[in-house]
Amino acid sequence: MSTTIDPEPYSVGVSMKRKEDQRFIQGHGNYVDDHSIPGMLHLALVHSPYPHARIVKIDKTAALAVPGVLAVLTGEDLAAHNLAWIPTFHGYDKQMVLCVGKALYQFQEVAGVIATSRDAAHDGAELVDVTYEPLDPVIDPFVSLTDKTLVREDREAKTNHIYHWEVGKRAETDAALAAADVHINERIVFQRCHPAPLEPCGIIADMDPATGRLTLIMTSQAPHAHRTVVSLVTGIPEDKIRVISPDIGGGFGNKVPVYAGYVVAAAASVVIGKPVKWVETRTENLTCTGFARDYHMDVEIGATKDGKVTALKVKTVADHGAFDAAADPTKYPAGLFGIVTGSYDFPTAFTELDAYFTNKAPGGIAYRCSFRVTEASYAIERAMDILARRVNLDPSELRLKNFVRKDQFPYPSQLGFVYDSGDYHMTLKKALDKIGYADLRKEQAEKRARGELMGIGISTFTEAVGAGPSKHFDIMGIKMFDSAEIRVHPTGSAILRAGTKSQGQGHETTWAQIAAEELGLDPQNILVEEGDTDTAPYGLGTYASRSTPVAGAAIAMAARRVREKGRNIAAHLLEAPLADVEWSDHAFNVVGVPDKKITMQQVAFAAYTNPAPDSEPGLEATFYYDPPSLTFPYGAYLAVVEVDKDTGAVKVRRFLAIDDCGTVINPMIVEGQIHGGLTEGFAIAFMQEIVYDASGNNLNTNFTDYLVPTSLETPHWETDSTCTPSPHHPIGAKGVGESPNVGSPAAFVNAVMDALSPLGIEHIDMPLTREKVWTAIQAAKK
Amino acid sequence: MNLNYSGQETIAAPHDAVWKFINDPASIASCMPDVLSSTVIDPHTFDAVVGVAVGPVRGKFTFHVTLEPQPDEKRLNMKISGGGFGSVVDLTAGADLTTTNGVTTLDWTGAADMRGPVATVGGRVLDTQAKRVITTTFANVKARLTPPG
Repeated sequence: MSTTIDPEPYSVGVSMKRKEDQRFIQGHGNYVDDHSIPGMLHLALVHSPYPHARIVKIDKTAALAVPGVLAVLTGEDLAAHNLAWIPTFHGYDKQMVLCVGKALYQFQEVAGVIATSRDAAHDGAELVDVTYEPLDPVIDPFVSLTDKTLVREDREAKTNHIYHWEVGKRAETDAALAAADVHINERIVFQRCHPAPLEPCGIIADMDPATGRLTLIMTSQAPHAHRTVVSLVTGIPEDKIRVISPDIGGGFGNKVPVYAGYVVAAAASVVIGKPVKWVETRTENLTCTGFARDYHMDVEIGATKDGKVTALKVKTVADHGAFDAAADPTKYPAGLFGIVTGSYDFPTAFTELDAYFTNKAPGGIAYRCSFRVTEASYAIERAMDILARRVNLDPSELRLKNFVRKDQFPYPSQLGFVYDSGDYHMTLKKALDKIGYADLRKEQAEKRARGELMGIGISTFTEAVGAGPSKHFDIMGIKMFDSAEIRVHPTGSAILRAGTKSQGQGHETTWAQIAAEELGLDPQNILVEEGDTDTAPYGLGTYASRSTPVAGAAIAMAARRVREKGRNIAAHLLEAPLADVEWSDHAFNVVGVPDKKITMQQVAFAAYTNPAPDSEPGLEATFYYDPPSLTFPYGAYLAVVEVDKDTGAVKVRRFLAIDDCGTVINPMIVEGQIHGGLTEGFAIAFMQEIVYDASGNNLNTNFTDYLVPTSLETPHWETDSTCTPSPHHPIGAKGVGESPNVGSPAAFVNAVMDALSPLGIEHIDMPLTREKVWTAIQAAKK
Repeated sequence: MNLNYSGQETIAAPHDAVWKFINDPASIASCMPDVLSSTVIDPHTFDAVVGVAVGPVRGKFTFHVTLEPQPDEKRLNMKISGGGFGSVVDLTAGADLTTTNGVTTLDWTGAADMRGPVATVGGRVLDTQAKRVITTTFANVKARLTPPG
C-alpha cells in the first residue's frame, strides 16, 4: 500500500488533464444510440406539416402493412393509458404527448410507429395517413395577444395570455424615469434560437416483464427528476424505474424537458414488453425540442446628464409557443430575469413580463443560461451602451460610473437578489488594460477619419446561478438541492457519486479534484459516477450553472464529513486525543507536531482493518447541500470588430473575456468552457435564429439553415480571470459554464453598433447577418 | 410558404383544340414533369405520383388533381392537393384562353401553399423548383399542340 502521495499537482486550481478525454478521443464514448438490447424495437414519429390544424382522421392501415411495423400509436391510444397529456416543466401547464384533437405547431408529434428496425419505423411513419383541417396559425406574439385566434382551446381561460409577472417598484420607477435628464427607451429582441446539441435526444425504454422494472437509458440532464416525473405520470413506483443517463453529447438545457419520443417509447415498451429505442433526427431536434429566448424587451433607463443611472424599467413580451413549457423554477415563471439590473447600482427598478401562446414549438429552456439570465444580461448591456452614446460618454466610463462598488457587497439589488461578491471596477480595468483599450480607441479614430468602420464593444455582465436555495427554488415541488456520496476504499482510492450529470463539462475530473483537495487523495484514483438513479444520490441534475455551486459544494461537504470521521481514526492511530488532531497540509497530525502525519490512505486502510474502538467501520459519507443563496459570477468582455461597409460583413478581430467565477477548480477546463460558450455566443450574435414564416413553417430545420460555426468562422479567443470567491460556497466557487454565452452576445453587438455609430445606426436585432448590417448601412445612407 | 407564378404561352392551335386538350386529365397528366404514374379517376379528376427532389428532400408526392372548366369564361381552373413525406401542397392554377387568327394565347397563374419539410428544407430552391414544374407543364401543353416542323 502506498502511504505517501503528493496531492498538490492535482488539487483545486490545477489544470489537470480531463480524465474522461481518453475515452472520448479514442471513440469510446458511450451514448444512447451506442446502446443496443437484443430484441429491441424502434420508434419513429409522425409530425404535423401544419402549424395549426384539427386532426380529422388518422388512418394507420398503410403503415401497418409495412413489413416489420408492429404498432401505430396515436394520442387517443395514449389517452387510454392516461398518457395523452403530461405536465410541463414547472407544472403550471400541461402538454400533449401526441396530438389530441388539434396540432398546435408545425412538426408537432401526431403518431408513433413501432417497428422491428429503424428503417421500417420511418417507412411506416411516412405512410400514416392523417387528414387535417387547417386552421389559421398565430405566429407573432404581438398578434397572439389580441386573442383573435385561440391557440389553446383545451384551457379554461379562453385567451392566449399565459401569465403576467412583475417585480420591483412600478410607481417609483415611473416617477424617476419621468424626472430623468436623459431617458432611453429601446425595443431589444433576443431572437428565438436553439441549443442544437451535437447529439440529439434519444431513449431506450426497456420494461422487463419478468421483474416489472422499467429501465430508461436516455439523454437526460436530470436523471432523478426524470425518474420522479415518470413515476408521478405513470403511477409506476419509483423503485421500479431506473434512469441511466450515459455519455451525453451536449445538453445546454435541451435535455432537461420530457419529450414525446421519451413517453411514447416508454409506453410502447410497457405495453409490448420489449425494449424500444427512439433517437431523433436533427430536424426533429431543431423543430420539436426546447427552443431558447424569444423575448421582446422594451428597455427604459433614466439617467442624469452626466450619466449616473436613476431608474430601470423593462417590459417584456415572451413567446412561449404552444405550451408553457419554459424551463423555470416553480416560483420564477420568468426565471431569474430580475438580474436585469446587471452590474449597476440602480436606485430603483421595475420589470414586468407577459407570456403568450403561439403556434410554434414550445420551449423557453435555459440554453447555457441560468433561467433567462442571458436575455436579461443582453438587454441591460445593450441598453447601457445606447445610454452611453446619448450622454456622450465612453461605454467603459459609463459602466465604471455606475457599477456596484466592492464595498457594497453583499449587495441587495432593487429586483430582489443579494449579490454575493465582486469587484466590477477591478475586472473591467484589467480588461481595458489587457486589450489596450486606449490605443484601440486611437486606432478607431484614425480609421473613422478614413471612412473605415471599426468598433469596440463592452459587456460587463453579472449572472445569478446555482439554483438553488430550497426556500425559493423547486421544480414541480422538488427542492433544488444537490448531493454527493464519497466512499474511500481500504487502499486509499475512492468512488464519488453525485446527483449531477455531465454533458461534456468534465465532472469526472473536477469533482475528483474537489474531493482530492479535501481528502488529500490522488484525483486519478477517485472514480466519479453520475447518471444512474440506482446508484447516484438524488439530485436535480446539471443545467443553469448549478453543478459547481450546488453539487460541487455537496462534494466538498461530503468529503469534510469523511475527513471528520477520518480524524477519529487518525487520533486512534496517533494515540492522541481527538481534540488534539488537526487536518493540515492534506494530512492529519497532532497539533504542534506537524512532522508526524497520518495520510488519508493510512486512515482508509485502518477504517477497514483497524478501526477506532467503539466507532463504525468503513469510510464514507453522503451530503445533501442546500445552498444558502445563489452565486453571482460576472465578467468583463471586450470585442473588437471591423465592418465592411460595402458588404455588411463583420470580422471579429479580437475578443477578450475576463471572467470572475470565484475559486477556479481546473483553469484548463474553465478556459475550455469559456471557449465553447463564446463560440455559441458568437453564433447567436451573427448566425442563428429559428424563423417561422407567415404560414407557420419553421425555416431553420437543419444545419444548412441553422448555422453552427466551424473553426473557419470562429474568432480567436483571449481569456483571463479575476477571483472574488463566493463567501458562502464551501470552496468559494461560483460556476462558469454559462458566463460566456450570457455575456458575449452583447459584446459582439455593442462592437458592431459602435462601428456603425458614425452612420447614426443605434440598434440592430440579432443575428447580425451580412444582409441585416448591409441593409442598415444602405438605409442610413439615404 | 406561399408562392405565386404567372406566365403566358402562345400556341399555334385553335381554341377548341387547346380547350379539349387541357380539359383531358390524361393529356394534362402527360404534360407534367417527373410524373411516375397517373390514374384518371373521372373526366375531371386524376391522381398523379410525382418524383420530387427539393434540396436534400427526395421522394414521391401523390397529387389529386381536379379540373374545373368554366367554358363561358374560356377559363380552366385547376386544384392540386397532395403531398408526401410529411409535407402538404395546395396549388390552385388557372388558365385563360384567347384566340386570334387561329393562335390561342394561354395566360396562366398559379398559387402554391406548402407546408412541412419540403417548405422548410427547400426554402432556398423551392421557388425555382415549383416554377419549373408549372412552366414545364404549360410549355409541354404548347409543344404537344404545336404541329411539328
